[in-house]
Amino acid sequence: MSELDKGPKGILRSGWTARVDEYAIAGAWACGDDVFVVGDATGSVYGFNGKSGAALWTERDTHGDGLLALAVHPNGATVATGGQDGCVHIRDARSGTLERTLDLGDGWVENLAWSHDGTALAASSGRKVFVDRGPSSDRWATDDHPSTVSAVVWSGAEELATASYSRVSFFDTQSGELQQKLEWKGSLVSMVLSPDGDIVACGSQDNSVHFWRRSTGKDSMMSGYPLKPATLSFDGTGTFLATGGSQSPVIWSFKGDGPEGTEPGVLELHAAPITELSFSRRGLRLASGDRDGAVVVWGVRDDGSGSPIGAALVYNLVESLSWRSDGRGLVALDAGGNVTSWRVKD
Amino acid sequence: MTDHKKVPVTILTGFLGSGKTTLLNRILSEEHGKRIAVIENEYGEVGIDQALVINADEEIFEMSNGCICCTVRGDLIRVLGNLMKRRDKFDYVLVETTGLADPGPVAQTFFMDDELREEFELDGIVTLVDAAHIEQQLGRSDESTEQIAFADVIVLNKTDLVEADKLDALEARIREMNRMTKVIRSERANVPIETVLHLSAFDLDQVLERRPTFLEPEYPFEWTGVYSLEAGRYELSLDDGPDPTMSLVVLPKQGGDDSGLRDGAELCVRRYADPAEPVGPGAVLPLDTHVSLQLQESGRKSFVLELETATTIGLYAQHTAEEFDMKVINTSLASEVEFAVDRTWVAQHEHDDEVGSFAIERDGTLDPEKFNMWLGRLLGEKGIDIFRMKGFLSLAGESKRYVFQGVHMLFDAQPERPWGDAPRRNQVVFIGRNLDEREITDGFVACLN
Repeated sequence: MSELDKGPKGILRSGWTARVDEYAIAGAWACGDDVFVVGDATGSVYGFNGKSGAALWTERDTHGDGLLALAVHPNGATVATGGQDGCVHIRDARSGTLERTLDLGDGWVENLAWSHDGTALAASSGRKVFVDRGPSSDRWATDDHPSTVSAVVWSGAEELATASYSRVSFFDTQSGELQQKLEWKGSLVSMVLSPDGDIVACGSQDNSVHFWRRSTGKDSMMSGYPLKPATLSFDGTGTFLATGGSQSPVIWSFKGDGPEGTEPGVLELHAAPITELSFSRRGLRLASGDRDGAVVVWGVRDDGSGSPIGAALVYNLVESLSWRSDGRGLVALDAGGNVTSWRVKD
Repeated sequence: MTDHKKVPVTILTGFLGSGKTTLLNRILSEEHGKRIAVIENEYGEVGIDQALVINADEEIFEMSNGCICCTVRGDLIRVLGNLMKRRDKFDYVLVETTGLADPGPVAQTFFMDDELREEFELDGIVTLVDAAHIEQQLGRSDESTEQIAFADVIVLNKTDLVEADKLDALEARIREMNRMTKVIRSERANVPIETVLHLSAFDLDQVLERRPTFLEPEYPFEWTGVYSLEAGRYELSLDDGPDPTMSLVVLPKQGGDDSGLRDGAELCVRRYADPAEPVGPGAVLPLDTHVSLQLQESGRKSFVLELETATTIGLYAQHTAEEFDMKVINTSLASEVEFAVDRTWVAQHEHDDEVGSFAIERDGTLDPEKFNMWLGRLLGEKGIDIFRMKGFLSLAGESKRYVFQGVHMLFDAQPERPWGDAPRRNQVVFIGRNLDEREITDGFVACLN
């Protein structure tokens, strides 16, 4: 994609850039988009000014051998990180001040998810998922899953979905009861839910995407991917599911009776496997990043097809793409520790 | 991304008490200039500070295609996936498996996962053997047999506890099982480090680029039953089984002899490539169509089969009839119809002691095309039972000697040094279970020019 070498194209405009010490693992907007928080592979956590990119705070080596997960509270004020030391740290996102530490044992803390109202934090460690509701409540934990938990998503106000080998489980986190089990004999490596919680989509180690509709119990498998679909993203309406697993993002449309029996949209431009996909919360815009550092923004049409409307190059494998809540900013994290932001035109 | 050297991985296997931890600690102390990541599945006593020691539960994942050769270690994918983000922080990975581990899934993990394949290369499998106790273990456990069969290097440890002639007999027995392995004797795992690390025993890059379909299993179904049926209405009845769904193709006009079964299987491989049509209990089964029986309800479930004329049908099922207690019932007679013939396609991973190895050595050159065809067919049929292959090939039209190696269905052949004036010669060792030496040798010889 040599035509991208001279800076961003289309609707993307150069914004601020920053650097972290190591491979940037995860990042998220916080404090009403005033702050962008990043965690890197050494376990350092950073706060950057969301408008200028100026470093606000840095906390080094917070998780021993490495940081694995980061999640910003729905109110934007605090950020949780988890790592190989088996701990979760909850910090003030504006100052970096450590507010609480949860010690969950020896297992790596690989997934974190705040409940929709922010009263509970789910954290997976090995085969268990813990749900914490603050220092004055007892911490609840699931029984052991069949394997290490690979994804955690809140499927309702109090209901938590977990993915592990051969299974998606739904727990009522108030009663502790297992509500539903969806089974598929394969190693599930990623999971997303449609915004209404009805459609559950998982990428599988065997190069397929499996999905279930909870209301009807129907399930389907989409195969033919050359690689693992490790990244998935639903648009804000739950109509379109973007899937990785090849050099071209593949978009399935859930309109009507779809996507079963329909042809997906295949967005062709990338020259390397897709590593990250993220729909903007505003409008049908999809950002995709690849192993070589190319970032493309697509305008997705009603039929699931799409055209590139913006593109840029970062320096290394694109690990994460985060849209600002108003859709007018986009931040890419890469394997070389670069934090690259763009302004996005309407 | 910048070009980088892949990080070598050595798998260390052996029963508890065989000296794995001692050897591990020796490697770590002698290679002190290097950062080594150690992945352990049982708590050992690794006493070296600069090593990054990670304890991971052994998690064996089977792929949904049901092929036993496609089992991988999920914990390694996860742990190494995270480690490779800090690639500059270590130079070597050692995976220490539990004494009870089958080395197959560990080795296959490095071929099956494309991200790991980009960052790591399997350097070799080293098996520690307790000379004083291995005889008993070989009789009792399949795992110790497989650990020997898979090994590139066997460290015959604690030799001071065993008499010399018994030791010779033991080494001979090990060599019979695995002719390509290097056997090193030691008393307290005090072997030279260069004999166990940097072996470069595996290198599959090229072959997988050329033949990615080699990872596909030969047959997506496990069992076929052939039934001679009059016109009328039948029920296919299944009890609870291992999975909530099962794929099936009902093939009409099925031949009952071997060629009929092969023809049917070929056809059904293509049917299985179509997306499965979900069919619920009570519904009529379409013929010649890939269906997915929905078996989520508990208890016996029945599916309807309607035949307008008498025919012989073949049921090509994802699982064996036994696993679901699958029966064909003539509804008007209310009686079960027995199958005339049945066939299991994917041989079960049987645990017996029939592990052995043999070598093929022939002068001359191989017709590469013939050889590839033959090997593809051999691995498709016998890949489960072929643990390892290794050797040198002389290919027609190639000026260089080829190095050839494989694990189960996965193999690799790469040009090495030029033949020059040396006599052209092929040498290949096969290690596996119940291998038919004559059949494989004849097949190989038929590929010679």
